[in-house]
Amino acid sequence: MLAVTDLRIAYGKTEVVHGVSFDVAAGECIALIGANGAGKSTILKAICGLIPPSSGDIRFEGRSIGGLPGHAVARLGICMCPEGRQMFPEMTVLENLQLGAYRRRSEDISGTIDEVMTLFPRLRERASQLAGTLSGGEQEMVAIGRALMAKPRLCIFDEPSLGLAPKVVDEIEETLMKIKNLGVTILLVEQAVSMALRVADRAYVLEAGEVVASGTSQEISNDSRVQSAYLGG
Amino acid sequence: MLVDLLQQLFNGLVIGSIYTLVALGLTIIFGILGIAHFAHGSVAMFGGYLTYFLILALGIGVFPAMALAMAGGALLGVVLERVAYYPVRNAPPINSFIIALGLTLIIEKSNLLLFGVDQIIVPTGFNRIFTIGGLALPELRIYILLTAAALVVALTILIQKSWMGMAVRAVAQNRAAAILMGINVHAVSMFVFALSSALGVAAGVLVGALFAIAPGVSGGLVVKGFAVLILGGLGSIPGAIVGGLVLGVSETFASAFVSSAYKDVIAFLLMIGVLLVKPEGIMRRSVAR
Amino acid sequence: MRRLGVLTIAAAIAFSPLATRAAEKTLTIGVSDALSGGGAVYGVPEKRAIDLAIEQINAAGGIAVGKDKYKLAAIVYDDKADPTEATNVARKLIDRDGVKYLLGYCCSASTGAVASIIGREDAIMLVGTAGARAITSAGHKNVFRTRPPGDYTGDAAGRFIASQGVKRLGVVAARDVALFTQYRDALIKAFESEGGKVVAVETFGGQDRDMTAQLTKVRGLEPDAYFISGYVEQVAFAHRQAHELGIKAPRFGFSGGSAAQFLRVASAEAMEGVWDLIAIEFNAEALGENAKNYAKAYEAKWKEYPTPNSAFAYDQVYVLKAALEAAGTVDDLEAVKKALRNLTVPKEVVLRYLPVDGKMFDPKGQAYISNGAFQFRNGNWVFVKELPSDAAAYSKFFQTVRD
Repeated sequence: MLAVTDLRIAYGKTEVVHGVSFDVAAGECIALIGANGAGKSTILKAICGLIPPSSGDIRFEGRSIGGLPGHAVARLGICMCPEGRQMFPEMTVLENLQLGAYRRRSEDISGTIDEVMTLFPRLRERASQLAGTLSGGEQEMVAIGRALMAKPRLCIFDEPSLGLAPKVVDEIEETLMKIKNLGVTILLVEQAVSMALRVADRAYVLEAGEVVASGTSQEISNDSRVQSAYLGG
Repeated sequence: MLVDLLQQLFNGLVIGSIYTLVALGLTIIFGILGIAHFAHGSVAMFGGYLTYFLILALGIGVFPAMALAMAGGALLGVVLERVAYYPVRNAPPINSFIIALGLTLIIEKSNLLLFGVDQIIVPTGFNRIFTIGGLALPELRIYILLTAAALVVALTILIQKSWMGMAVRAVAQNRAAAILMGINVHAVSMFVFALSSALGVAAGVLVGALFAIAPGVSGGLVVKGFAVLILGGLGSIPGAIVGGLVLGVSETFASAFVSSAYKDVIAFLLMIGVLLVKPEGIMRRSVAR
Repeated sequence: MRRLGVLTIAAAIAFSPLATRAAEKTLTIGVSDALSGGGAVYGVPEKRAIDLAIEQINAAGGIAVGKDKYKLAAIVYDDKADPTEATNVARKLIDRDGVKYLLGYCCSASTGAVASIIGREDAIMLVGTAGARAITSAGHKNVFRTRPPGDYTGDAAGRFIASQGVKRLGVVAARDVALFTQYRDALIKAFESEGGKVVAVETFGGQDRDMTAQLTKVRGLEPDAYFISGYVEQVAFAHRQAHELGIKAPRFGFSGGSAAQFLRVASAEAMEGVWDLIAIEFNAEALGENAKNYAKAYEAKWKEYPTPNSAFAYDQVYVLKAALEAAGTVDDLEAVKKALRNLTVPKEVVLRYLPVDGKMFDPKGQAYISNGAFQFRNGNWVFVKELPSDAAAYSKFFQTVRD
């Protein structure tokens, strides 16, 4: 479904991603793991059209999308749940969810809203509250729900557990499993490596802008380098 | 005495409703693009002139002429956004600041070339005066209040209820997230300029009907508009509505109860006062609610 | 600054290629007036009146100076009634264009700025409608003015208002323009010396078009009558708004605009019964044959009836002609100044000047005309009566003031 080939990205003259390749098949859940500054978020931004790649190819369902403007990428059905939640803080929870369905604005979206609220019953209680006034965990739910509202073909999660309490991280993990079981294709970027590997089918390990290991979650969990670097074992 | 008080309140609300229309256009542009669009006053004057000539040339009433001029203004707004502001969207803010100043001169001089130096008054034919217990309510002023109110309601519905309005608010609150939702921010920019310029044109027509349109009027109008923005909170729609009315009524009351010499000072006193006490404006900064 | 171009008069164009006769010469004068902006209602008619006078003088053979005949040509600039702009225009006319005679000058602020520097210049300035007292009272030897100062008329107006049985007067007047403040102060003083009481003095600024707040405030004090003064356009807005506020008490005023100028802003209904208490500027009803001929010629040339103030500028040109012919020179400015100072009222002028000691200009270069009361009736200004005015007594007082 998504194929990234020899992707290079530079900020000004400094190249930060040096020829990364990976792919995501329909229905799969893929994790990109790695330390802070490994280039994970940069890759996601390039996929979503927020920054242009300097070379390499990004293909979505056979079509090259590298360099397409962000809103055009979103309209193809690639949906990102961004790092730091990125609420529309002075809109209500309901409005945030509605905006998630912006690409489907000619359709009736009330059914989808109902599905998302069933997934996150807390959001139903808070529907008319301003998103900026929610707790971090609740905001994460809004962000995930908002992404699902688009009925995405590919759903990208950027550090969904960042800055949340351990109990909330467990809830997020549960939610991701549910979404995966709905059949949504997922690209997950996480620093909480053990959590990511529990959710994902396959994983790629990034270090300093390069893929240093890849395999099924099981293989990666057993990789000694990964264990020493990320799993504290 | 009470009659005089009510009379002054009515006078102030009429003027304030015009300030509100000017400030609304400025505030939505500021909210989306962070641009101080100084040329807004000249766009308003352009609309007033255009309406005047449409009335004379086509022999239509003031409201149809105003609707046509607002459509023309919307088009002008899109052109301004594309030609002037779009090319510097990624440059440092000083660029758009300088462009805003340049645009002001260009539109002001274009008005002179297109419409001449003579003062014009938009003819309305609204000459009746209603009197209720000593309170004089000229028909024209009532229509001005109603027109401004109708436009404010229409704008509120548009911004609150339509998909485009939601997109406008989304871009104002979180530009990057808006892009991820599939919102085309360039289209939103153009839409905002069209909307803002159409509102500006309406304000220009009302100024032209109540007072007059002449070279030099736009400067005063835009200063009042920015005073309202500071007063109500930069980028805030409710702030612009409340701020405009507050400014209009304060000016009128200052003339009436302090001294007419301080009428124009009052805008600045209010601005300084708000900046000292509540720098974010009397309403929160947001296009949201 | 907009250069309007050299207005070379038709006759001059026709003759200049054949300038074989040595006696045929051209004298170029400078004209500075407000041709755009708020002052244009006064400035444009002045410029047109000057054009007309030049055309007539040239068609009649020009100005006989010694054995030479001079045709007139004018260089015209727009000073926008702005002090800085007007000073620049004067500099340009004197330094670059080399003219010695400056005419026009409709507005107080711009004219005052030029008058304050003209004393040092090798030029003669003839002032038209600008009414601030200091323009001539400062006593520059090369400034002459056809229009009397505002307070000269204000005094007569105050007595007239009292004579109409008004006991309580509400004043709404322009704030910053010396012409209007001096007129207003003289009016209040005279009105109060006749036993009247001024209940409020409200003011408005140069850019204001909304006087509703001031009028509402004065309305609350229930005066017998209102006095409203300022530039035409603003006064017209004040009358429109007074009408909208349902004010029925008589409204007196001072602005000197034509009926057409008022009707562009206010309806005839709003203007009905309004008084304008002004020096008797051009008015074909109140004045004689010259005035009627002037109106006819002006209308034929400009397709518009002359404004009241335009005649001040028209008369400037004939005053200059008479002075140059009396002096017998165009180059010796001292001789021309002397001739102006000793001038008797020329027979071609339109307005009715009141000579002081038999001379048109008093020792400070100030001329006087009679004052009158005009009332707006059925869409037009109607001359009602002349106001008693003592030019000699005022001139004596005028010699003692400098502001």
